[in-house]
Amino acid sequence: MLSYLIKRVGVALPLLVVISFLTFGLNQLSPMDPAEVVLHAQEVPAITEELIAQTHAELGMDRPFLARYGDWLLSSLQLDFGESYITGKPVWSLLGPALVNTVKLTLISSFIIILLSIGLGVLCALREGKPVDLAVRGLSFLLTSMPSYWLAALMVWYFAVKLDLFPTSGMSSADSYVLPVSVLVIGYAGIYFRNVRSSMLSHLHADYALYGRACGLSERQVTMRVLRNSLQVSVSVFGLAIPIILGSTVVVENIFAWPGLGTLTVNSILGRDFPIIQAYVLVLAVAFVLFNTVSDLINAALNPRLRKEL
Amino acid sequence: MNRKKAVQLLALVLAILWIAGCSGASEGSNNGGAGNNAAASGAEGKSDAAGESNNGTESGKPSELIYAVAKDTNDMNPHLYPGSMPAQGMVYESLVENTADGIKPLLAESWDISEDGKTYTFHLRQGVTFHDGEPFNAEAVKLNLEAVQANAEKHAWIKLSTQLEQVTALDEYTVELKLKEAYYPTLLELSMTRPYVFLSPKDFKDGGTKDGVVGYHGTGPYKLVEQVTDQFARFEANDAYWGGAPEIKQITAKVLPSGETTYLALQKGEVNFVFTDDRGTDSIDIDAMQRLVDSGDYQIVRSEPMNTKLLVANSSNTASPVSDKAVRQAIWQLIDRETISKTIFSGTETPAETLFSRNVPYADIELTPRAYDPAAAEALLEEAGWTSGGSGGIRAKDGKPLAIKVYYDVNSSSQKTQAEMLQSAALAAGMKLELVGEESPSIANRRSTGDYELLFNQTWGLAYDPQSTVTAFAAASSYRYTTSGIPQAEELYRMIEDVMVSTDETTRKQLYKDILTIMHDEALFIPLTNGAVTVVAPANLTGVAFKQTQFELPFEKMSYK
Repeated sequence: MLSYLIKRVGVALPLLVVISFLTFGLNQLSPMDPAEVVLHAQEVPAITEELIAQTHAELGMDRPFLARYGDWLLSSLQLDFGESYITGKPVWSLLGPALVNTVKLTLISSFIIILLSIGLGVLCALREGKPVDLAVRGLSFLLTSMPSYWLAALMVWYFAVKLDLFPTSGMSSADSYVLPVSVLVIGYAGIYFRNVRSSMLSHLHADYALYGRACGLSERQVTMRVLRNSLQVSVSVFGLAIPIILGSTVVVENIFAWPGLGTLTVNSILGRDFPIIQAYVLVLAVAFVLFNTVSDLINAALNPRLRKEL
Repeated sequence: MNRKKAVQLLALVLAILWIAGCSGASEGSNNGGAGNNAAASGAEGKSDAAGESNNGTESGKPSELIYAVAKDTNDMNPHLYPGSMPAQGMVYESLVENTADGIKPLLAESWDISEDGKTYTFHLRQGVTFHDGEPFNAEAVKLNLEAVQANAEKHAWIKLSTQLEQVTALDEYTVELKLKEAYYPTLLELSMTRPYVFLSPKDFKDGGTKDGVVGYHGTGPYKLVEQVTDQFARFEANDAYWGGAPEIKQITAKVLPSGETTYLALQKGEVNFVFTDDRGTDSIDIDAMQRLVDSGDYQIVRSEPMNTKLLVANSSNTASPVSDKAVRQAIWQLIDRETISKTIFSGTETPAETLFSRNVPYADIELTPRAYDPAAAEALLEEAGWTSGGSGGIRAKDGKPLAIKVYYDVNSSSQKTQAEMLQSAALAAGMKLELVGEESPSIANRRSTGDYELLFNQTWGLAYDPQSTVTAFAAASSYRYTTSGIPQAEELYRMIEDVMVSTDETTRKQLYKDILTIMHDEALFIPLTNGAVTVVAPANLTGVAFKQTQFELPFEKMSYK
């Protein structure tokens, strides 16, 4: 297991370096002079040649690209992503709290999505073709196909304005979580439960299930074995689901004025606040690689055969 | 079978758990939330002011305003530019105030200007203190002005920053400003929201403000009490304000995305005030505003014209047809401003016939209007040699087709619609317009590097017009490319320099008249509409008024009935 872990991490690290290089490099392709970008971002009303030169020097932009990349990478490892062009505050002091807010939203949503997907998936698989199965699948199809911004607006109007149950937006109390979490859960649970359901079904009809039954295992014991085996596929799917949700809260965050990563990034992109954009891409890439690695490790733990591969 | 049922039950329990989880969470907030989130619920909890609300002060009268803003309040350092101007306007004050009746005293009670126009002596208001208790005196004025000057490059747009030579504290309450040359807009520029406003010297970092500050204590009617990035900023009335304690005791600027979210929050009363933001974008559209007014809870208040929305033509771009005066004049006559005002803005913006509207200082002059007249436009083009018959009915001159690129701000739906209207009118006259939507920073970049033909822009606004906009005509970072292609360019730049230093009112009037006449004849700035500030406020709020700038509102004068 340990050697598998080392190999797996050995693949992940170079990937991260490549991603970081692309992140840093892509921003350099912007057609605008970075110093001008900074000054526009700070909304300085008139930008003179002298001011641009002065800003170049201040930000160390005169130095060669690779030297700047190296410095950035080294300091990024210590969570020092430089300073925001717009506010001049350290990027991490802006990104950190936003990340925490988004992670809160993501973890709560993911937890519910996973529970709900497994619950509904198992239920539908065991009741394949029965009214329960059809009803759950039909409803999830309907809800998943609604665009999340539309669903969100509808839910805010009904639950927050009409019924006055929750705040319309913001992150002021635990109430505030209900609507955004619901929108995310509705959007994703419908997709993932189908995954659990179909993998459950294929295993339920597998030879080993039949053999188990023939050997006199109770139906409950068979179901538990089938569940364990069918979850293997789901673990990697769920493993990636978390960073996907992390990255796709943008829409929901903007509708609900959630002070998270999505809101921060959209504002940074609009304001050309490159240090924040760079840090965001890097953090998200790390999250993807991390969750991918972790889900592989969980799978390896669940299925010894997988450890030999790679 | 029983076991199957058990699994089924498990699934059901899971589903119920989800629902329970949600409602459990909301119960939690009612108990624990109040303590934990005192800050956030402070912004949130007392938010019913819009309706016939119960909350507010003990007397039962509401005394809170919560306004929606699209962008974070950001850095409140008044000597730099990222911060929200309406918020800075509440907290900081300048020496003098720009009103409809001219310059009036604010932190300075009176002033003398020397004969040669180079020395300004201000007599300060006595007994004023900063929010942190520090006295506002001549020394504080000197320190603040010097802090601004230490970063003069960033303030290049405000000409006073290049003219101010020395600040001397003559005694506790008298300050003398020495300029290099006489500069007539000195008082105007000292009245602006930034940078010449005053921060407690105790908040300075390393003796200055250019590298940040450690606190935000001004002398204004409101104090900043709390700021949470991307969530809200809360201001409380300064009860020791020299002009009397404001009636609205608490103001919160809440960050909300514009559009549906803001509209729903207004309906619910979580916010109860919105206004056109610094960039002239409305947080909610006109239909939504009207529905709020129809509900009886809200009122709309609109200011006088504050600025002019324009199409700017790059006269120095010799490869482009817009370097031809006739083409620019033809475009001017192809714009149906009445229809734009009525259909795109529902009357909230009015048709603009000239660069500056007549309520702008020095702009009340006679200029020949160029009304909407496609036939006249075609005649102009024909006369200038742009003859029809090219491919697709597009006019051409010397083999060059009459095709022009128009850049608009991709985030402004009104600019896009206007551009499309103009596009079809132009096509009918044999002119091909290609519309390009871009983010505002890249439009600004095009303007300063001259890489454009036509682009959407606007004048700086009432407090800055005409002097700042006119100065920008000659500034390399602004409209230099726009203006440098005309034959009278050198003469124009000389006049712009002269008008700023002239000390004689009659000369100044004449110079402005000449400058504005050249601009009008050359049709470099093609006016579209006059923009105003629109406020949506609770119906029972009185005293909703405006300042001589679209960037600030006099909250201290508002109160509930």
